[in-house]
Amino acid sequence: MSLRDTIRIMVVDDMSVSRALITQSLEEIGITKYQTENDAKAALGKIVAAPVHLVLCDMNMPGMNGLELLHALRTNKTTARIGFILITGQPTPELLRIGQELGLNNLIRKPFTTATMKASIERVVGPL
Amino acid sequence: MGNPILDTFFEETEELLESLAEGLESMQGAEFDKETVNSVFRAVHSIKGGAGAFKLNELVSFAHSFETVLDEVRSETLELTPQIMHTLIRSADHLTDLVDAARSGRSMPEDVSAGFLSALQACLGEGKIEAVDAWDNFEFAAVTLDIAPIEEPGAEAEGEAAPAGFSIAFKPHAALYANGHEPALLFAALADLGQMTTTVDLSAVPEWDDLNPTEPYLSWTIALRTDESEIAVQEVFEFVHGLCDLVISPLTDPTPPAKAEPVPEAKAAPAPAPQAAAPTAPAGPSATAEAPKAEAPTMSDRAAAAVAALKKPEKGDDAEAKAPKATLRVDLDRVDRLINAVGELIINQAMIAQRLQDMTSTRDDDLVMHIEDYRLLARDIQEGVMAIRAQPVKSLFQRMSRIVREAADATGKMAELVTSGEGTEVDKTVVERLADPLTHMIRNAVDHGLENREARAASGKPAMGTIKLSASHRSGSVIITVRDDGAGLNRPKILEIAKRKNLVAQDAELSDSEIDQLLFMPGFSTAATVSNLSGRGVGLDVVRNAVTALGGRISISTTPGQGTEFTIMLPLTLAVMDGMVVTVGGQTLVVPITSIIETIRPQPSDLHRIGTDETLLSIRGRMIPVVDVSRALGFPSPEITGSPLLLLVESEGLGECALVVDGVQDQRQVVIKSLESNFGSVPGVSAATVLGDGRIALILDPDAVAGGRSGYHMPNILSNAGRTAYANV
Repeated sequence: MSLRDTIRIMVVDDMSVSRALITQSLEEIGITKYQTENDAKAALGKIVAAPVHLVLCDMNMPGMNGLELLHALRTNKTTARIGFILITGQPTPELLRIGQELGLNNLIRKPFTTATMKASIERVVGPL
Repeated sequence: MGNPILDTFFEETEELLESLAEGLESMQGAEFDKETVNSVFRAVHSIKGGAGAFKLNELVSFAHSFETVLDEVRSETLELTPQIMHTLIRSADHLTDLVDAARSGRSMPEDVSAGFLSALQACLGEGKIEAVDAWDNFEFAAVTLDIAPIEEPGAEAEGEAAPAGFSIAFKPHAALYANGHEPALLFAALADLGQMTTTVDLSAVPEWDDLNPTEPYLSWTIALRTDESEIAVQEVFEFVHGLCDLVISPLTDPTPPAKAEPVPEAKAAPAPAPQAAAPTAPAGPSATAEAPKAEAPTMSDRAAAAVAALKKPEKGDDAEAKAPKATLRVDLDRVDRLINAVGELIINQAMIAQRLQDMTSTRDDDLVMHIEDYRLLARDIQEGVMAIRAQPVKSLFQRMSRIVREAADATGKMAELVTSGEGTEVDKTVVERLADPLTHMIRNAVDHGLENREARAASGKPAMGTIKLSASHRSGSVIITVRDDGAGLNRPKILEIAKRKNLVAQDAELSDSEIDQLLFMPGFSTAATVSNLSGRGVGLDVVRNAVTALGGRISISTTPGQGTEFTIMLPLTLAVMDGMVVTVGGQTLVVPITSIIETIRPQPSDLHRIGTDETLLSIRGRMIPVVDVSRALGFPSPEITGSPLLLLVESEGLGECALVVDGVQDQRQVVIKSLESNFGSVPGVSAATVLGDGRIALILDPDAVAGGRSGYHMPNILSNAGRTAYANV
């Protein structure tokens, strides 16, 4: 069983289009164990209840944004070491700096392709 | 297009554009909070993000500039002047156009976009809009995850699937027993979840002499093999939460782990002081501690502060309360099929009820009761299905504020739109089909209704004209009003135009309301010169036709010097209506309840013959024209004699009139079946329906019947040209 069959991913994005695009790419890669949430707070609850390996999360969302979710995960003992990839259209230096301090695992630049998404995930978890 | 995700993008974008317009509108008000600016920013940002994924470059680059300006406003480095506000609003309009263009695969003229782009650029002063791809060269050192933690929670997560379980350390406090809980019952509940091995720890039980019967001494360690999640296990202990020491951990090996807190050795220990363990220890990767982590997060205060800074200012929990409810997108065809089926169901119910009524020999009270229940249920279902099609008029109203802006710009007037009742729900088709007439009326209101600046100043009105658009529900109808605070209708001028266009006889004496009605005549246009806006040869008659086609009515009222108000009255739904079943000339007809004011049988002395074939009804001191429905529809009918049964109806624009019918059979809900799509348009008849006995009944259009009657009212004063035009309405 390769990693792509076992890895569990949580996709968090408030826009259904983005979720659809992300999951489409995931399926093209061959990852099937993913779940989606449209709200970071709800995602946090789900992740705490049933941990995943990796979170793919949009930056700009109402309520709790991507980095806030990362912060929340990192400060919770049980979820502190979950992989976290932020998806953003504007990777400003400020955002990169904060991401690094919070232990962000990687960053995917919007718009992404299946290839760039795969590369970004592989740089975190190794070859799929 | 064939790309479902792209379709979703456009659907979602529509919603975003709506919330964008809404946000910008509240930003115009004196008070708005930061969350409003944020939501506006987010809307544009999300559109940009989605557009990027589909390589809609035009959209991306405009949204990017728009977003940059909004970002400046958001971070308060840019003051929100009226000028900038105006640019933002117009940019939102342009963004809407770009989305429309992208949807239909067109592209916008470049100079138009360039104009908007430079307006946005102007907002920033010397500030530069960074190129869209400014961050393309970002450097981010990916932090690799060890496989170990990946596998570890994996095994555990997998464990949920494969029979695994939990080790539960349970030590009740005295309060648990005091509250009437019983460990044996908890264990029984646990046993329901799976296979269970229970070990009791007796080590704390003191010598008999020292035993305090009110103190708990026992604790248990339970190995539970189950497929259930930890949550299910926790639920068992839900009611004893805080009344015991409870540690739930994943079952790692066959032997129950000795993780349970070491029970204090012997001695008549009173209820143990709460141990360090939290009542519900997380099942997280506690067992994975051996995986050393290099990048264990270092949470500096600085980072935390930065997160706080990045966190968009929020009003707090209100923001969440406004989170949209979960919705489901459904293909409209499916809903319509359902509505159709429900319509048939209603007809079927009516048929069964009818049959039952006919079977007078066998009275079965139970059956009657069940049929009545069936009727109520069918009606409930129908209302529920109709509610699916109902939409708030908000989106429609929002589009109108753009119309007002454009109309005001084009005419050099200042105007603002004030809306109320946006939450009023109307059938989706009504909302769609109302867009054009409403647009026309709004343009009219700005163009013809509002005075120019000089005239407004002269009459002491504020320079900013107000167009009020409101919606409300009233007794089974939806009322939409458009009101301007302009000069009111110029009746002498309207009459003069009508005479010049030969729409009325040159010597006609018209009452004020009759003059107002002239506006709806085909071929009438009030603007002395055709303005570049509303005078496109399309008159209010088109508006009226559109409203009538929806089964509605339009009326007008005006106060000189204070403004004009148009009122559109529409049925809530186009699929069913409440009607009175009447007999006319041997035919069964249905008259919409909404137009019936009352049913009367007048004294013969209250009927007055006028001329050869006109009759007036004297009622409560007023004279109302009487219309013989059978004659109006062309049925052979005798003269009105004695005291006929009259339906007093309110007819559009023509005031009340009385319809002569032979008898009233019933009042019931009927399903409207369009005649036009199946047969053709019939004057005086708006549609048809199927009655309970299977017969088809025509649905009367009281306005057409009353308006088309010969003689008394309008047609009298109309010249031949006008009469022809009117009859064609």
